[in-house]
Amino acid sequence: MSVFLIIKSLLRRKVVTALLLLQLAVTLGLVVNSLLLASAAKELVDQPTGLSLEQILTVWVKPTSKALRLEPALSEVINRQLAAVRQISGVEAAVYANQIPLRQGGSNWNIFEVDRQDETNVDSVPYYNSSEQIFQVLDVRLITGRLLTELDRGALNIVLTEKLAKQLFAEQNPVGKVTNNGTVVGVVSDFYSQRYASHPFYGQIVLGPLHRAEQGYQLIVRVAQGQSEAVRKQLTDVIRNAEPQMDIGTVLRMDENRDDVFRSEIGLATLLAVLSGLMLLVAMISAYSHAHFHALQMQKEVGIKRALGASKARVLLDVLSESWLTTAIGAGFGILVCYGLNISLAKVISIPAVPVWLPLLTLVLLLLCVTLATWYPARIATRISPATATKTL
Amino acid sequence: METLIHNLKLSWHSIQRAPLPYALTLLILSLGLGTFFSNATLYYWMNRDPIPEKSQTLFMARLNSLPGDCTDCFEPPRVISYMDVQKMSGSGITSAEAAMFSSNAYAKTLENQQATPSQVELRVTQRDFFKLFNVPFLQGETWPDNKARMEVVISKNTAIKFFSRTDVVGQDMLLDDKLYKVIGVLDDWSMLPRLYDVNGRRSAEPAEDIYIPLETAYDLAIQSNTQNSFTDVDWDGNMATYPQMARTNFANMLQFWVQLDSPEKVQQYQQFLKNLVQDEKAAGRHPRPEGNKLDNILDIQKAMRATNDQLDAFALVASLFLLVCVVNASHLSLNRYMANQYEFSLRRALGASRWQLQSQIMADVLLSSVLAFAAALVFAQLGLWTINSLLPGTRALASWDWQMLGVMALFVVLVSYLVTLYPALKTSFSPLNQQLKQ
Amino acid sequence: MIKINNLSKIFRTDLIETHALRQINLQVNEGEFAALTGPSGSGKSTLLNVLGTLESFDQGDYLLDGRSVKGLSDRELSALRNEKIGFIFQGFNLIKDFSLFDNIELPLRYRGFSSTERKRRVEQALETVGLAARRDYHPSQLSGGQQQRVAIARAIAGEPRILLADEPTGNLDSLMARQVMELLEKINQQGCTILMVTHDPDQARRANRHIQIVDGQLNDSSMYEPLAAGA
Ligand SMILES: Nc1ncnc2c1ncn2[C@@H]1O[C@H](COP(=O)(O)OP(=O)(O)OP(=O)(O)O)[C@@H](O)[C@H]1O
Ligand SMILES: [Mg+2]
Repeated sequence: MSVFLIIKSLLRRKVVTALLLLQLAVTLGLVVNSLLLASAAKELVDQPTGLSLEQILTVWVKPTSKALRLEPALSEVINRQLAAVRQISGVEAAVYANQIPLRQGGSNWNIFEVDRQDETNVDSVPYYNSSEQIFQVLDVRLITGRLLTELDRGALNIVLTEKLAKQLFAEQNPVGKVTNNGTVVGVVSDFYSQRYASHPFYGQIVLGPLHRAEQGYQLIVRVAQGQSEAVRKQLTDVIRNAEPQMDIGTVLRMDENRDDVFRSEIGLATLLAVLSGLMLLVAMISAYSHAHFHALQMQKEVGIKRALGASKARVLLDVLSESWLTTAIGAGFGILVCYGLNISLAKVISIPAVPVWLPLLTLVLLLLCVTLATWYPARIATRISPATATKTL
Repeated sequence: METLIHNLKLSWHSIQRAPLPYALTLLILSLGLGTFFSNATLYYWMNRDPIPEKSQTLFMARLNSLPGDCTDCFEPPRVISYMDVQKMSGSGITSAEAAMFSSNAYAKTLENQQATPSQVELRVTQRDFFKLFNVPFLQGETWPDNKARMEVVISKNTAIKFFSRTDVVGQDMLLDDKLYKVIGVLDDWSMLPRLYDVNGRRSAEPAEDIYIPLETAYDLAIQSNTQNSFTDVDWDGNMATYPQMARTNFANMLQFWVQLDSPEKVQQYQQFLKNLVQDEKAAGRHPRPEGNKLDNILDIQKAMRATNDQLDAFALVASLFLLVCVVNASHLSLNRYMANQYEFSLRRALGASRWQLQSQIMADVLLSSVLAFAAALVFAQLGLWTINSLLPGTRALASWDWQMLGVMALFVVLVSYLVTLYPALKTSFSPLNQQLKQ
Repeated sequence: MIKINNLSKIFRTDLIETHALRQINLQVNEGEFAALTGPSGSGKSTLLNVLGTLESFDQGDYLLDGRSVKGLSDRELSALRNEKIGFIFQGFNLIKDFSLFDNIELPLRYRGFSSTERKRRVEQALETVGLAARRDYHPSQLSGGQQQRVAIARAIAGEPRILLADEPTGNLDSLMARQVMELLEKINQQGCTILMVTHDPDQARRANRHIQIVDGQLNDSSMYEPLAAGA
């Protein structure tokens, strides 16, 4: 049937059509923005972290007795724990640290080059107070200078991540520069440190005792390829056996920490994906019951058309093209809704701008759903004999 | 009454005649309402005024006193130092004031020393905390002053958990191996959202278990578990020097709340802070520009950027979804009425007045409302459950009280009416002859 | 034009079998105006539907214009219907969302005529039935007789070889009925074969052939012989 005729008959049912179009437009707008948020969340989660996520396990622990949280008892406990952990087969290295990378926030120091505080000060840079094996555990590459060794323990020597070194010293050689937190002896490759620090990839590493563990501390374990589950199973018991007076958190693989960092985004994206699914379902139900309600009227109409010489295929096409056309017009308004919603959402959360292809893709998706839902009632309508349909009531 | 029952019966029959379309309409409507309700529930708990009787008088004060000559740092830090609190206290303008931070510890009772200690949440604060936020006491009372003392106030649940009773004033407790005396037990109390401490977006967390004096915490080196910001602190980590260091350095971890009973008092306190900063600057301290903040408790989530943006975004989307569902349902119910239009017209032709048809429609609305409300509550529960498992920090926000249920029920009736309004008008007011023909 | 041999049609429902047409033999020649009468339920509409290929049949043969319709696909049948047969239903069966113009134009669209051609034919058909002034009306705005005339216009716009009319004057008053009859006679004179179901003996007499059907069987098919009214 011609587009013109469909439009004419739509115009005769103004309110119904307006309702249908409004609903389709909002659906398209929402689905587009949800897809957008979902893809943004995925990009966030999938960004390179500089860490081998599958091979690092972390566990938070805290001595339940105050005495064990202070030196010298604390160091003794930690050494006992680490020694035990290193015995587990599949463990390549293990360290303690005040905090782990891939977090939202944590402990930060400001850092600046001592003689140029005003120009170089960076407000919040995560610091890692750990031991020699930390570089092996995180598997970071040495870019320049040298790594820290046990000889640096207690000395005011510091290793920076590449991005931080660039920020502080630009093109100059960072090795030997003196900062408020110590003398730079080396620079290592970047890794995702803290989301809400001055920059997610800034980090500074020192070697030293923890002094106290009022907030607990982390044990970070590097495991051989494919061994993480086997090690994870034993880790808690091994730590508890090393020192029973210990509150032990959940053992997490690094990718689980990452998911936790982006939990809000992943959560919202999932939520919106669910909602989009529901919305498509609603669109389908609506198309289905629209066709279903009109079955009686449609049957008669279909019967007449068949008597006048329309083939089954042609009638089916007629019915479908009516829903296609409404969907397409609705989607046309939907593009407006989609940009409007994008702008409003951008006021509360960060959301990328709408790329041109996305509404088109969504339109195809919508068409598919509507076709699917219209198909069945339309088929039924064409199946009844025109002789019955054209009979007077 | 009799006509109502008769009408309800008729509605029920017309549903029975075509159950599938009706069920679908209802499904769509309650899906939209359910999603909307689950979001509205969270939104309501997140944004309500938890202390309406005095929210106008409660303010959090901050100074921009950090070191470092930063000329474009106008925003004070989120947590402030002990020195700041010392300076802002004792103005004589406030009718209550308390500094505070949150922490945690392992607790056990003296009688039960062998048991594994259980973790408790601490609020480290000062004497006026309970007055500020209208916290009710069941037993005992707050500390007599702000001095260090090994005395704690505990929540009712904590008393029951550790002592299995509530009259425990005078009892001893071990917190991280230190002995404290219980001087007060609170009655059931919670603040939702917990606006007195929204840092770290923890405004949906429950109130703490145990309250201990600020000075004691500094003496014992108890630190905040939310945010400690050390700026230009030179400390060797020796615990013996911690109390001195923490009180005299920019080891920021405090939030400071004041009660100002009138707009004039607010004005006065603002002036007081202004003068304070001038004096500080004159003394060669406070290098950054003046950036005093006196945020009302109702603005605090915004000021501390602790609003749940994901929830806000979802609110927008959920409202649109409701719109889609309502539009959809009214489309479907229009179809349903159109399908019955012949019958409607026939009844009018047989002498039913418009009013009689309208009352029939109202019976329809009533019936749909009841069904939609029940279904919407089910979907809302499902929605809340999903949101709780997906968005962090929303678990405490998922309950309903009678008032909310009432509002939701009213809303359902309104929406059901809206959904049926146009179809009803259309069927009972369009010209008769046009409908009967064909 | 139409030739059927031993044609039977049985409706089967769960409970009963209705033998609507039993072993019918019928030949209708080009240019004839045949009237079909019979008591209610005797199978008139069924016969017409079978002839119009709206309904299949169980036994026998049906040759339309010398071509057997048996075994034709849905698409071929539709094309056949569209080109050769015009329908006037017992109820008017207009599409109520369409204007008169659109209603009449519809079969022409299926035929694939150009829009100018369609316009010309629709206007001519409307002229023929005397409704040219109401081309943009919708069916619900017309009287019953007017609607019937639109249905006729729709049937003749495609210049079919054969017109099948099921009680075209069934619910019209006698004046209207006479007008419709005159219209049909005019169309017949232009060369269109007409097969018309009617209950009106006068009308049956005006046709140049009278076929009677009783209980699914043809009683007689004598030519040019006015018969006494059936039921
Ligand atoms: N779809 C059907 N299913 C079952 N039986 C049918 C069907 N259509 C018609 N019949 C039966 O076939 C017989 C012939 O019906 P038909 O409609 O041809 O009668 P008619 O001669 O047109 O009657 P009238 O003058 O009342 O229109 C009737 O007994 C009818 O009940
Ligand atoms: Mg009949």
